[in-house]
Amino acid sequence: MNALDISSVTFCYDGSPAPALRDFSMAVADGRTHALLGPNGAGKSTLMRIITGQLQGQTGGVSVYGLRMPDSKALSFIGCAPQPISLYPSLTARENLRFFGAMAGMSKDQIASRSDWALEKTGLAESSEAAVASFSGGMQRRLNLAAALLHSPKLLLLDEPSAGVDPQSRNHMYDLLMELNAGGVTILLCTHMMEEAQRLCSGLTLLDRGERIYDGRMSDIGNLEEFFLKKTGRGLRDL
Amino acid sequence: MIFKQLIELVRKEMLVLVRDRQTILLLFLMPVALIFFMSLALEGVWADKLVGRKISMVVDNQSRSYQANLLAGKIKAHALIVPVERPAGADVDRIFAEGTAQAVVTIPPGFEEGDRPVEIRFDPVMDASYRIAARSLITSLAVEVVMGVDNLEAVVSGLVVERSGPNRELPTPLQQTVPAYAIFAMFFIAIPMSVGFLREKKDGTLQRLFTYPVSANLVTLGKITPYFLINVVQFVLMMLVGIFVMSRFIAPAFHAGAHPWHMLPVTLAVAAATTGFGVLVAATAKTPEQSSTLAATGAILMGVFGGIMVPHAVMPPVMKKLAMISPMFWAHQAYLDIFLRDAAFGIILPRLIILTLFAIICFYVAGRKVRWI
Repeated sequence: MNALDISSVTFCYDGSPAPALRDFSMAVADGRTHALLGPNGAGKSTLMRIITGQLQGQTGGVSVYGLRMPDSKALSFIGCAPQPISLYPSLTARENLRFFGAMAGMSKDQIASRSDWALEKTGLAESSEAAVASFSGGMQRRLNLAAALLHSPKLLLLDEPSAGVDPQSRNHMYDLLMELNAGGVTILLCTHMMEEAQRLCSGLTLLDRGERIYDGRMSDIGNLEEFFLKKTGRGLRDL
Repeated sequence: MIFKQLIELVRKEMLVLVRDRQTILLLFLMPVALIFFMSLALEGVWADKLVGRKISMVVDNQSRSYQANLLAGKIKAHALIVPVERPAGADVDRIFAEGTAQAVVTIPPGFEEGDRPVEIRFDPVMDASYRIAARSLITSLAVEVVMGVDNLEAVVSGLVVERSGPNRELPTPLQQTVPAYAIFAMFFIAIPMSVGFLREKKDGTLQRLFTYPVSANLVTLGKITPYFLINVVQFVLMMLVGIFVMSRFIAPAFHAGAHPWHMLPVTLAVAAATTGFGVLVAATAKTPEQSSTLAATGAILMGVFGGIMVPHAVMPPVMKKLAMISPMFWAHQAYLDIFLRDAAFGIILPRLIILTLFAIICFYVAGRKVRWI
């Protein structure tokens, strides 16, 4: 079974002359790590929001483990770490995890034990009672990931998970993601870092101007950055 | 699961709020300070309005005749007069300039023969009604002395009888300011409420929330409930401050009327109106900065029109009518109904309906305008 199926999705924002996504399809098999790449404004964030049901009104369909979105059970399979640090700065790390755990429908005991696990895995156990506002950029990014992992999701959606973090935090994060994938978690990684995509992912979808321009195996590609520029062009994409 | 999610949404909102010191100062210390200083400021205005205040007076007896001494004695002994000794060498202008007395009565030589009248001079800033009262009093006492009547008031008591009911229009300084600034502060909840919403929208936490099985209605309820509860706490605290603290400094002491429990439905209706206003601001503004300005300006304008800053009872007729556009007016009048008029529930009900309608309209318009993502 595929973890994620996207079939012929077209989506247009209100008042926008061109669709943000045009007849877009892709699939991610269960247990795989898949990279979703594209220049700025390609439609990656829109696609992420459609997958999680934040944006609706598209034509075509999205299914998560066979459940057509929007579906509350399917949402419980998804763990999402958005590109912005989406945490409450005045709350502590543990309070943030408790909140997001409760939103995922976890029990108090589950939240407590999974919080310990997530904080340990992201190297934040010692800072668990500190306010997020006092964290470094790397620590905040790791907690952003910890919140996504808390409810043991089967499908992990990561949008620029290592943006603005130092090599130490980044490598710590890569090790954790590989460990999770080895444990059966499917990962859809949205990134601008070609090295990261090539290191972590076995599948690749290239997206540009709302359309799919490549879908295949990472192993078929030699230099990903060159391949990316060849497919999407060298012109600047200022929006 | 939904109830548990709601509890956590409320808990999170409360934690974020209580850790924001500026907001706490805005919601709790600002109204206390306003109640204290505005009550002190209004005390002077009320002093001239309320019955029972005394007039400080210098009695300058230049005649020293029997009748003059009798008149001077009657004036000084009267219940409404506080006799003040003229400071050595002080002329009338200096007496008024230094606030030694509000009036100076001069009994000239030859008064007893009717050659020269008793002269009264008032402090120029003294209220006109007080001057009339003081003048009538001195005239009556002079008549008593000249006519040889012992107590003129007793003689004419059969001719003129005063029948005035209790004061039901003019609140005391504390009756005016305690509910007024409690309401004002309650409406200021729109600032943290809308800023919090837009900040979460800006930093992505709101969007993240919708990646969980949580409905928009639950998120809305989770955002409104804590502010609604804080509104109730604000009002209770302001009342306690008014009754137990301010009453020690500002007279007369706070009187909550015969049916204080009617404050409960009024407070709930006000809290609904304020949270409705907050939701509307959050749905209308595009940035936290914009929402802060919009909420503050809206609350201040509602306060100006609604009889919060200037008591409705002393407003000119046009402003009294304009006041009705402000929900703060209906809220304040509902509390004054309870404190001043001992109003039955049926009397305050129309005001509750208006406040609830205001809340419903705000929620409806906000619901149509809001963009969650």
